[in-house]
Amino acid sequence: MNKKVRVIVSGFVLLVLLLSLGACSSKSSSGSAGGKNEIVFWNPFTGPDGKNMKAMVDAYNKTNPKYKVKNISLAEGDMYAKIPTVVNSKRNIPDLNIVHAERIKQFVDKDMLIPMDDYLSKYPEIKAENYIKAGWDIGSLDNKRYSVPLDVHSFVMYYNKDLVKKYVPNALDDNIVTYDEIKAAGAKAKKDKIIAMPVTWMKPTFLSVYSQMGGSITSDGTQPTLDTDKAADTLKLYNDMVKSGITNKDGQDAGQTFKSGKSIFYAEGIWMQNDVKSAKNLNWGMTNFPQLSDDKNKMVNWSSSHQFVLLKNPERDKKKTEGVMKFIDWVKDNSLPWAEAGQNPAALATLDNPDYQKMPQSFLVKDATEQKSLKIFDYKYNGYVSEQLDKIGNDTVFGKLDIHKALKGAQKTVEDKIAQDK
Amino acid sequence: MDVKLTENKRVDVLSPVSLKPRRKGFNVMPAVFIGPHLLLFALFFLIPIFFGVYISFTNWDLINTPEFVGLDNYKEILFHKESTFYTQLHTGLGNTFKFVIFTVPACIIIPLLLASALHVKPKGSKWFQAIFYLPVLFSISAVMIIWSMMFNVSFGPINHYFSSAPNWLGTQPYAWIALVVVTVWWGIGGNMIIYQAALNGVSKDYYEAASLDGAGRIQKFFHITLPSIKNQLLFTVVITTIAQFNIYGQALMLTKGGPSSSTTVLLMYIQQNAFGSGQSIAGIGSAMAVILGLCIMVVSIIQFFLLREKK
Repeated sequence: MNKKVRVIVSGFVLLVLLLSLGACSSKSSSGSAGGKNEIVFWNPFTGPDGKNMKAMVDAYNKTNPKYKVKNISLAEGDMYAKIPTVVNSKRNIPDLNIVHAERIKQFVDKDMLIPMDDYLSKYPEIKAENYIKAGWDIGSLDNKRYSVPLDVHSFVMYYNKDLVKKYVPNALDDNIVTYDEIKAAGAKAKKDKIIAMPVTWMKPTFLSVYSQMGGSITSDGTQPTLDTDKAADTLKLYNDMVKSGITNKDGQDAGQTFKSGKSIFYAEGIWMQNDVKSAKNLNWGMTNFPQLSDDKNKMVNWSSSHQFVLLKNPERDKKKTEGVMKFIDWVKDNSLPWAEAGQNPAALATLDNPDYQKMPQSFLVKDATEQKSLKIFDYKYNGYVSEQLDKIGNDTVFGKLDIHKALKGAQKTVEDKIAQDK
Repeated sequence: MDVKLTENKRVDVLSPVSLKPRRKGFNVMPAVFIGPHLLLFALFFLIPIFFGVYISFTNWDLINTPEFVGLDNYKEILFHKESTFYTQLHTGLGNTFKFVIFTVPACIIIPLLLASALHVKPKGSKWFQAIFYLPVLFSISAVMIIWSMMFNVSFGPINHYFSSAPNWLGTQPYAWIALVVVTVWWGIGGNMIIYQAALNGVSKDYYEAASLDGAGRIQKFFHITLPSIKNQLLFTVVITTIAQFNIYGQALMLTKGGPSSSTTVLLMYIQQNAFGSGQSIAGIGSAMAVILGLCIMVVSIIQFFLLREKK
C-alpha cells in the first residue's frame, strides 16, 4: 500500500515536472518564428487600424502566394521590448517587421537590420519615385536601403466648419491657419464660451512649432539642442494662449471639447479622424497644423512613418525573404484599406484612387508643397527627446513648471542618457 | 474505537511521519514533493534575481553583450550629484516612500474596521462583504480607467456631485489624494478577508468575560481583538508594505507621474531607463531596482522586529 502510493505520487510529480520543463523548451530551435511557407509579420497595430492591416494581409493571402503572411499584432511597448530579445537570442525572429521611422537609425546603428538592396533588385517599382519622399528617405542610410515605408502619418488640425464661419471666415482661404488667426478667433469666441483650440499632444506640437521657428532637436545628429531660446519661445507661445483663456483648462478633455462643438480648432493626428467622425452633428474639416507664417514653403506638419524592415537573422531563408518582398510590392499597389484606417499610404499608387482622393487626409499628399511640409524628426536619440517632451510639455504650458528650468532639465537628461551609450 | 484506529492508520500513510527515511541514504520523496516548486522558483525567481543583480554591474543596451563596469552604475546613481540618474533615484525613491507612508496605514486600518463591522453580522453583511471584495478582482488597467473618468475635470462624477473643480490628477495635493483613494479602494478586499478569518478565530469567551468585567466596545477592540489577531496584522503590514513599494500602474496611468514629476515613482524611472522609447540603459535601471529591493528588505525586517518585540 505504502509503496503503491509512493509510486503514484512520484509518478505524478515527475509528470508535472516534465510537462513544465517541456513548456519552456517547446519553441522551435530554428531562427525563424514561422513555419516553412509562412512569413511571420510583426506589427504594432493593436488599435482599430489592426483590423485594416489584417484585412490587407488576408487579401494578399487570397492571391495564393507561395509564402503566406501570418499577421501578428503586438502592443507597441511589448514589440519594442521583444525585438532586441529575439535578435539577441537568434530565435523566433519574425521574417518581416513594422517599426516606426524614428527607430531605424538606432536599429541600424546596433546592427539589428539587414539592407534590402539585393532583394529589391527584383522589384524595380519599389523606388523613390513611387513613395512619399519623407517616408522613403528615412530608410536610406550609408547608401543602403534598410526599410520601405507603409505610410506617412501626420499631426494636423481639425476645424469646426460652423464655428470657423462664425468667428474667422477667411482663415482657411489659403488652407493655412496661423497662430495669429487662432488667437483672434479665440478672442472673438470667448464671450460665447467657445475656445479657439485645446492643448493636445505637446510632443508633435512642440516639434512642429520648434521647427517652424528654425530650431532643431539636434545640432549634429548626436548632441541634443533642447535648451534654446527658440524652444522656450515655442512653449511660451502655448503658455500665453493658455493664459489668455482661449484654450481648454488644465485637465479638461480636449477631444470631448472639440467633438461637443465647444472648440473651433483641434490639433490632432490624421489617425484620429474615425474618432472625430463618431461625433454626431459635427461639421468638420481637416487642414494643416497651425503655422507661424502664411508662407506655404515654410510649412511644417509633424509626421512619422511605419516602415517595413528585415531584422537580422543569421538563418534567414533567402527564398522566403523574396516572398517578403513580394508582399511589400503588393502592399504598394493595394494600400487603400490602410487609407481607410485614416492614414496616408506612403505608396503614391494609391493617389490614383478616386476613393482615396475623397478622404480628408489626402490633401497632404495631393500637392507637392504639402508633401514637402511633411517632416519626420529623424534623430538617433529621438526616443529620449520624446520622453522628455512628454514629461515637460503639459506642465510648462499650463504654468506648473518653469519653462527655462524644464528645458534645462530636459537637455541635461538627454545628454546624460546619451553619455551612457558607450 | 476500532474505526478510529483504522482512520488514524490511513492518515499515517500520507503524513510526513511515514515518509521518514527507513534506510540510510538519499530519500527521494521530499525532493520529489518540493521539486516542481523549486524548479519554478529557480526559473522565475532566483535566476532573474541573480541576472538582474549582475546586469546592475554592467553597461547594457539589451542588444550587445553586457559590458562589466563594476560599481560605476551605483556610483552614478548614489553619489554623482550632478547626474540625471542621481536625481531620478532620489525623486523616485522619495515619491515611492511618500506613497508607502500615505497608503499603508489606510490599507490596514480601513479593512480592519470594515472586517470588524462585518464581524457583528449586520443585516446584509454577506452582500457588503462581496461588494468590498469585488475591486480586488479587477485588473489594474480597468480600475485606473474607471477612476480617471471618475476624477475627470469636465465630466467626472466626483467634481459634478461635490460641485468642486480641482484638477484631481494634475495638481497637488489632489494627485496624491487620488492615488491613495484609488489604491485603498482597489486593495480593501484582500486584507479584509484575512482579518475576517482572524476575527472568527477569536474565542467568544474573552468577550463575554470582558463584558462581565464591564469593558466597553472600544476597550474590547483594543484589549482583546487587536492582541488576538496580532500575527495576521504583522503579516498584512509586511505584505502590504512590500506591495505598495512596488507602486507603478496607478501613478503611470492616473497621474502619469505629474504634475512636475511629483508622483513619478522609482519603478517608472526604472522602466523608462530599461525599456523606454529611447535606447535601453538597462544597467542603470537594474542598479536602481536593486536599491529599491534593498529598501524593501530593510523596511520589512524593521517592521518584523518592531511588531514582534511587543509580544
